[in-house]
Amino acid sequence: MSLLEIKNVKLKLDDKDILKGLSLSVSKGEVHAIMGPNGSGKSTLSYMLAGRDGYELESGEVFLEGQSLSDMEADERARSGLFLAFQYPVELPGVGGMSFLREAVNSRRKFLGEEELDHLAFVKEARKVASKMFVKDEMLKRAVNVGFSGGEKKRFEILQMAMLKPKVSILDETDSGLDVDALKIVSDGVNAQRNDDNAIVVITHYQRLLDYIVPDFVHILSDGSIIKSGGPELALEVEKNGYAGLINAA
Amino acid sequence: MLHNVRDNYIISVKDHVSQFEEKSFRKLASNDFKRWPSPREETWRFSRLGVLSRKEITPIKPNFKKQISSVSKFKGSKIISFVDGAFREDLSSKLPPGSSLNILGEEDSLMCFHKFKNSNLKNHPSTNVSFSCTPSIVKLTIEKDVKIRDIFEIIYEGGDNNLSVHPALYIELKDNSSITIIERFNHLSSLTMPLQLVELRKNASMNSLKIFNDNQQSYNLSANCTFLSEKSNYNSFSLIKGGLFTRSETHAYLKGENCNLNLNGVYLSSKNQHHDLTTAIYHDVPNCSSKQIVRGVLGGKATGVFQGKVRVAPDAQKTDGQQMSRAILLSENAIANAKPELEIYADDVICAHGATVGEIDDEQLFYLKSRGISEKNAKQILITAFLRDIINQSVEKSIQNFVFEEAELALSEIISKEI
Ligand SMILES: Nc1ncnc2c1ncn2[C@@H]1O[C@H](COP(=O)(O)OP(=O)(O)O)[C@@H](O)[C@H]1O
Ligand SMILES: [Mg+2]
Repeated sequence: MSLLEIKNVKLKLDDKDILKGLSLSVSKGEVHAIMGPNGSGKSTLSYMLAGRDGYELESGEVFLEGQSLSDMEADERARSGLFLAFQYPVELPGVGGMSFLREAVNSRRKFLGEEELDHLAFVKEARKVASKMFVKDEMLKRAVNVGFSGGEKKRFEILQMAMLKPKVSILDETDSGLDVDALKIVSDGVNAQRNDDNAIVVITHYQRLLDYIVPDFVHILSDGSIIKSGGPELALEVEKNGYAGLINAA
Repeated sequence: MLHNVRDNYIISVKDHVSQFEEKSFRKLASNDFKRWPSPREETWRFSRLGVLSRKEITPIKPNFKKQISSVSKFKGSKIISFVDGAFREDLSSKLPPGSSLNILGEEDSLMCFHKFKNSNLKNHPSTNVSFSCTPSIVKLTIEKDVKIRDIFEIIYEGGDNNLSVHPALYIELKDNSSITIIERFNHLSSLTMPLQLVELRKNASMNSLKIFNDNQQSYNLSANCTFLSEKSNYNSFSLIKGGLFTRSETHAYLKGENCNLNLNGVYLSSKNQHHDLTTAIYHDVPNCSSKQIVRGVLGGKATGVFQGKVRVAPDAQKTDGQQMSRAILLSENAIANAKPELEIYADDVICAHGATVGEIDDEQLFYLKSRGISEKNAKQILITAFLRDIINQSVEKSIQNFVFEEAELALSEIISKEI
């Protein structure tokens, strides 16, 4: 059974068709890359999966481990093991990083029937994971994403992913705005979490990220649907010929 | 003689004046109180006092024997106690060297009166009524070069049903002095009309925290007049949470170059509470800065008002004036009014203002929910952060947690009903 099953989904925003019959099946242990030009619907797909208000489906269905997501709110989906790393992480003035992480982790643990971590145990765990992501303790004391650089925001997203241990992670342009060093840190962080029980969907505009997070499958998204799927070589084709050639051929 | 019920309070003010020790300013003030402000007056449009003119209120005669154990809320503070509007030395702490409290005599009282009457608070009802009926004007002086380490906690309490209370305090910080003052309003009375005159001399610095927490039937019409001299620093934060009707009105006059003013506040309103923060900042000289952040959280059928006037005189070049207000409505029946008012007569200035009234930001809410946090928890986190953020930005570090705890209590009451 696939971990994530997207079945012929259609979605409108402001009466405009954005996703136009998109299907994708992701199994345990797999990394999928979705590549597409700006405006092709990548973030819309991410928000739809995460369950953002206003991104309800026109038709089609999505299943997480066989369970339909259509009646689940964003928080339920997350507790069930879906994670979205935002293209533009949201600033939360006044919300301390550490308490934010703790609230999130304990919500998931409670759902899984695990005991909530007490403050000390949690701080220890968070610091351990943070140091692997080169996130300084000082950053965890600050308000979430407030005054973070682009790279810090993305590192903090992956730190959250590492703490929450999701089944399926959607990474929306996690590479955007990163220099090579930051890209390496973030990719190492993601790779460290690959295992046989989870799956990762990497959404990106550029091939560059896929040198670091090597996917098993690559899909080309254009104008709201997947026009071509293949192996890692497909990404190289995009790199060489751009999207135009692929889109015209389709 | 037959009186219209509306005139009752005005007559009792006049009658009452004769009961106090005769002072010239009392008569002057009582003659100037002709009626409650009408809703047609621009600054009282959102905060109508009609209900007061229908109430039978009498100015209180302070009971100097009333035993109230003024309890400090801030550990280690020096307490200054006002009961029924009168200073109570017996309930107050001994003040540290370089600071003193005095009851003003005729001449100094008259001077205070004139300062108010020459300001734009001249027609504020509290100006006229409290100068008529205050037991005495009390002056707190901080001497030149003295930096007070202890926090002064001024507690205003007492009062009684259908009586009005009239504390009057004059604070003078002499050159290079500094202090942090917490004021707590905890009256049981139906109407409190506090007056405060603050004068900051050259390079003086004052942190002021006012917590309005009178009981649920109370009215509070606080009038504050502040003068800033060269290089002085006034950092003021008002937390309005109590009372049925609380209006804190502050007028700040920036009179010396390079002075700096922060005039921030929060109102937390539920049930049928009416909370009003009205401010006026007068930039009269060049090179000064003023910054205002005002936030409100409202539930029930509460009303919040923020009126912020900033006037930059033609000579006040290089003024930096910032004003930002935001209210979050948690209930459909709550109302927030925001009226920023900029009058800029100088050309080389930076002035920015923004006012929003609305709900919790849905992008932030989605971000939290996408991390598995329930909507209810997410909303709580965001509103608490909304408060935490302004407190951290506005209040001196040593009292941040204190203010936050004071605010959190009122906030959780609103949240528990609405979320
Ligand atoms: N809230 C919205 N309302 C209407 N159209 C939208 C909205 N958000 C995005 N779009 C449109 O949907 C399309 C896909 O956008 P998006 O998913 O952000 O693309 P990508 O992430 O691939 O760059 C674009 O044409 C964009 O203009
Ligand atoms: Mg996008």
